[in-house]
Amino acid sequence: MDQSVIDQAVRRQVYQYAMDRGRPPLAEDTARELSMSREDAQASYQRLAAGRVLVLMPENGEILMANPFSAVPTAFLVQTQERFYYGNCIWDAMGIPAMLHRDAIIQASCSDCGLSMQLEVVDGKLKPAEGIVHFAVPVAHWWDEIVFT
Amino acid sequence: MLIFRSEEHVENWLRQWRLPRGEAISLDQCWRLAVNWYAPDRREAEWRRKTVDEVEAVFRDLDFTSPFWRLR
Repeated sequence: MDQSVIDQAVRRQVYQYAMDRGRPPLAEDTARELSMSREDAQASYQRLAAGRVLVLMPENGEILMANPFSAVPTAFLVQTQERFYYGNCIWDAMGIPAMLHRDAIIQASCSDCGLSMQLEVVDGKLKPAEGIVHFAVPVAHWWDEIVFT
Repeated sequence: MLIFRSEEHVENWLRQWRLPRGEAISLDQCWRLAVNWYAPDRREAEWRRKTVDEVEAVFRDLDFTSPFWRLR
Protein backbone atom coordinates (compact mmCIF):
# COMPACT_ATOMS: atom_id res chain seq x y z
CA MET A 1 0.00 0.00 0.00
CA ASP A 2 1.10 3.57 -0.72
CA GLN A 3 2.89 5.04 2.30
CA SER A 4 0.86 8.24 2.13
CA VAL A 5 -2.35 6.18 2.42
CA ILE A 6 -0.92 4.35 5.43
CA ASP A 7 0.16 7.62 7.05
CA GLN A 8 -3.28 9.11 6.51
CA ALA A 9 -4.90 6.11 8.21
CA VAL A 10 -2.39 6.27 11.07
CA ARG A 11 -2.95 10.00 11.56
CA ARG A 12 -6.70 9.43 11.69
CA GLN A 13 -6.31 6.57 14.17
CA VAL A 14 -3.87 8.50 16.38
CA TYR A 15 -6.23 11.46 16.72
CA GLN A 16 -9.36 9.34 17.13
CA TYR A 17 -7.63 7.31 19.83
CA ALA A 18 -6.41 10.43 21.66
CA MET A 19 -9.86 12.01 21.52
CA ASP A 20 -11.55 8.83 22.81
CA ARG A 21 -9.00 7.78 25.42
CA GLY A 22 -7.31 10.99 26.55
CA ARG A 23 -3.83 10.13 25.29
CA PRO A 24 -2.20 9.23 21.96
CA PRO A 25 -1.75 5.52 21.25
CA LEU A 26 1.38 3.41 21.54
CA ALA A 27 2.63 1.89 18.30
CA GLU A 28 1.21 -1.47 19.41
CA ASP A 29 -2.25 0.13 19.83
CA THR A 30 -2.09 1.59 16.32
CA ALA A 31 -0.81 -1.72 14.94
CA ARG A 32 -3.65 -3.66 16.57
CA GLU A 33 -6.39 -1.25 15.48
CA LEU A 34 -5.14 -0.98 11.89
CA SER A 35 -4.13 -4.65 11.55
CA MET A 36 -0.53 -3.82 10.74
CA SER A 37 2.79 -4.76 12.28
CA ARG A 38 4.20 -2.72 15.14
CA GLU A 39 7.23 -1.96 12.95
CA ASP A 40 5.03 -0.56 10.20
CA ALA A 41 3.13 1.58 12.73
CA GLN A 42 6.39 2.89 14.12
CA ALA A 43 7.74 3.61 10.61
CA SER A 44 4.59 5.61 9.91
CA TYR A 45 5.06 7.52 13.20
CA GLN A 46 8.57 8.37 12.01
CA ARG A 47 7.31 9.71 8.69
CA LEU A 48 4.56 11.72 10.40
CA ALA A 49 7.17 13.14 12.78
CA ALA A 50 9.40 14.06 9.84
CA GLY A 51 6.37 15.92 8.45
CA ARG A 52 5.95 17.65 11.85
CA VAL A 53 2.57 16.08 12.47
CA LEU A 54 3.78 14.14 15.54
CA VAL A 55 6.63 14.55 18.02
CA LEU A 56 8.22 11.26 19.11
CA MET A 57 10.14 10.21 22.19
CA PRO A 58 13.77 9.84 21.05
CA GLU A 59 14.39 6.85 23.28
CA ASN A 60 11.68 4.55 21.93
CA GLY A 61 9.97 6.18 18.94
CA GLU A 62 6.60 6.32 20.69
CA ILE A 63 4.43 9.43 20.44
CA LEU A 64 5.26 12.23 22.88
CA MET A 65 2.94 14.79 21.32
CA ALA A 66 0.10 14.51 18.87
CA ASN A 67 -0.62 18.19 19.24
CA PRO A 68 -2.57 19.37 21.08
CA PHE A 69 -2.51 16.09 23.06
CA SER A 70 0.37 15.05 25.27
CA ALA A 71 1.21 11.40 25.84
CA VAL A 72 2.65 12.21 29.26
CA PRO A 73 1.14 14.12 32.18
CA THR A 74 1.86 17.85 32.07
CA ALA A 75 0.96 20.98 34.05
CA PHE A 76 -1.94 21.60 31.64
CA LEU A 77 -4.89 19.40 32.59
CA VAL A 78 -8.03 19.67 30.45
CA GLN A 79 -11.30 18.23 31.75
CA THR A 80 -14.37 17.67 29.60
CA GLN A 81 -17.57 16.06 30.77
CA GLU A 82 -16.36 12.69 29.45
CA ARG A 83 -12.67 12.51 30.41
CA PHE A 84 -9.46 14.39 30.95
CA TYR A 85 -6.51 15.13 28.71
CA TYR A 86 -3.12 16.76 29.03
CA GLY A 87 -2.06 19.61 26.74
CA ASN A 88 1.59 20.21 25.85
CA CYS A 89 1.39 23.91 26.76
CA ILE A 90 -1.32 26.48 27.45
CA TRP A 91 -1.92 26.96 23.71
CA ASP A 92 -2.43 23.23 23.27
CA ALA A 93 -4.56 23.04 26.43
CA MET A 94 -6.91 25.55 24.80
CA GLY A 95 -6.56 23.62 21.55
CA ILE A 96 -8.11 20.49 23.07
CA PRO A 97 -11.63 21.94 23.59
CA ALA A 98 -11.16 23.75 20.26
CA MET A 99 -10.47 20.40 18.54
CA LEU A 100 -13.15 18.45 20.41
CA HIS A 101 -15.75 21.21 20.07
CA ARG A 102 -16.59 20.55 23.72
CA ASP A 103 -16.90 22.59 26.88
CA ALA A 104 -13.88 22.16 29.12
CA ILE A 105 -12.14 23.32 32.25
CA ILE A 106 -8.40 23.90 31.97
CA GLN A 107 -6.50 23.49 35.22
CA ALA A 108 -3.16 25.27 35.01
CA SER A 109 -1.01 27.32 37.33
CA CYS A 110 1.05 30.50 37.12
CA SER A 111 4.49 29.47 35.87
CA ASP A 112 6.07 32.04 38.20
CA CYS A 113 4.31 31.59 41.55
CA GLY A 114 2.41 28.34 41.08
CA LEU A 115 -0.98 29.79 41.97
CA SER A 116 -3.77 27.68 40.51
CA MET A 117 -5.40 29.20 37.41
CA GLN A 118 -8.63 27.74 36.11
CA LEU A 119 -9.92 28.60 32.64
CA GLU A 120 -13.30 27.65 31.32
CA VAL A 121 -14.44 27.08 27.73
CA VAL A 122 -18.23 27.17 27.29
CA ASP A 123 -20.14 27.09 24.01
CA GLY A 124 -17.03 27.68 21.97
CA LYS A 125 -15.88 30.69 23.97
CA LEU A 126 -13.21 31.21 26.59
CA LYS A 127 -14.71 32.77 29.69
CA PRO A 128 -12.96 36.04 30.63
CA ALA A 129 -10.22 35.44 33.20
CA GLU A 130 -7.11 37.09 34.56
CA GLY A 131 -3.86 35.95 33.00
CA ILE A 132 -1.33 36.31 30.21
CA VAL A 133 0.53 33.86 27.93
CA HIS A 134 4.25 34.15 27.26
CA PHE A 135 5.97 32.64 24.21
CA ALA A 136 9.68 32.21 24.91
CA VAL A 137 10.91 31.12 21.48
CA PRO A 138 10.56 33.19 18.27
CA VAL A 139 8.36 31.46 15.72
CA ALA A 140 11.18 30.85 13.24
CA HIS A 141 12.87 28.65 15.87
CA TRP A 142 9.87 26.73 17.24
CA TRP A 143 10.94 23.45 15.67
CA ASP A 144 14.60 23.77 16.68
CA GLU A 145 13.70 22.51 20.14
CA ILE A 146 10.00 21.73 20.11
CA VAL A 147 9.83 20.28 23.62
CA PHE A 148 11.21 23.51 25.16
CA THR A 149 9.01 25.61 22.88
CA MET B 1 4.02 28.60 25.92
CA LEU B 2 3.34 29.25 29.55
CA ILE B 3 0.58 30.98 31.47
CA PHE B 4 1.12 33.63 34.13
CA ARG B 5 -1.13 35.59 36.45
CA SER B 6 0.07 38.94 35.11
CA GLU B 7 2.82 40.81 33.28
CA GLU B 8 4.61 41.26 36.62
CA HIS B 9 4.77 37.48 37.04
CA VAL B 10 6.21 37.10 33.52
CA GLU B 11 8.97 39.57 34.43
CA ASN B 12 9.70 37.80 37.74
CA TRP B 13 9.97 34.47 35.96
CA LEU B 14 12.28 35.80 33.23
CA ARG B 15 14.56 37.34 35.88
CA GLN B 16 14.55 34.18 37.98
CA TRP B 17 15.54 31.94 35.07
CA ARG B 18 17.70 34.54 33.28
CA LEU B 19 15.75 34.13 30.09
CA PRO B 20 15.29 36.72 27.37
CA ARG B 21 11.82 38.10 26.93
CA GLY B 22 9.72 36.56 24.17
CA GLU B 23 6.24 37.81 23.43
CA ALA B 24 3.23 38.02 25.73
CA ILE B 25 -0.30 37.68 24.39
CA SER B 26 -3.70 37.86 26.06
CA LEU B 27 -5.71 34.78 27.00
CA ASP B 28 -8.26 35.79 24.38
CA GLN B 29 -5.59 35.97 21.66
CA CYS B 30 -4.31 32.56 22.76
CA TRP B 31 -7.83 31.10 22.57
CA ARG B 32 -8.35 32.52 19.07
CA LEU B 33 -4.98 31.10 18.04
CA ALA B 34 -5.95 27.70 19.48
CA VAL B 35 -9.27 27.68 17.61
CA ASN B 36 -7.62 28.67 14.38
CA TRP B 37 -4.93 26.03 14.76
CA TYR B 38 -6.83 23.08 16.14
CA ALA B 39 -10.48 23.32 15.08
CA PRO B 40 -9.78 21.83 11.59
CA ASP B 41 -10.28 18.06 11.98
CA ARG B 42 -6.92 16.28 11.87
CA ARG B 43 -8.68 12.94 11.30
CA GLU B 44 -9.81 14.08 7.86
CA ALA B 45 -7.83 12.90 4.83
CA GLU B 46 -7.77 16.46 3.46
CA TRP B 47 -6.18 17.91 6.61
CA ARG B 48 -2.64 19.23 6.12
CA ARG B 49 -0.34 21.54 8.01
CA LYS B 50 -0.79 25.22 7.32
CA THR B 51 1.50 26.77 4.74
CA VAL B 52 3.79 29.64 5.70
CA ASP B 53 1.43 32.05 3.93
CA GLU B 54 -1.53 30.70 5.90
CA VAL B 55 0.30 30.94 9.23
CA GLU B 56 1.32 34.50 8.44
CA ALA B 57 -2.32 35.35 7.71
CA VAL B 58 -3.37 33.87 11.06
CA PHE B 59 -0.75 35.93 12.87
CA ARG B 60 -1.79 39.09 11.04
CA ASP B 61 -5.43 38.55 12.05
CA LEU B 62 -4.32 38.26 15.68
CA ASP B 63 -2.16 41.40 15.48
CA PHE B 64 1.04 39.37 15.90
CA THR B 65 3.14 41.74 13.84
CA SER B 66 6.52 42.04 15.60
CA PRO B 67 9.67 40.32 14.24
CA PHE B 68 9.13 37.59 16.88
CA TRP B 69 6.31 36.17 14.75
CA ARG B 70 8.22 36.19 11.46
CA LEU B 71 8.56 32.84 9.73
CA ARG B 72 11.02 33.92 7.04
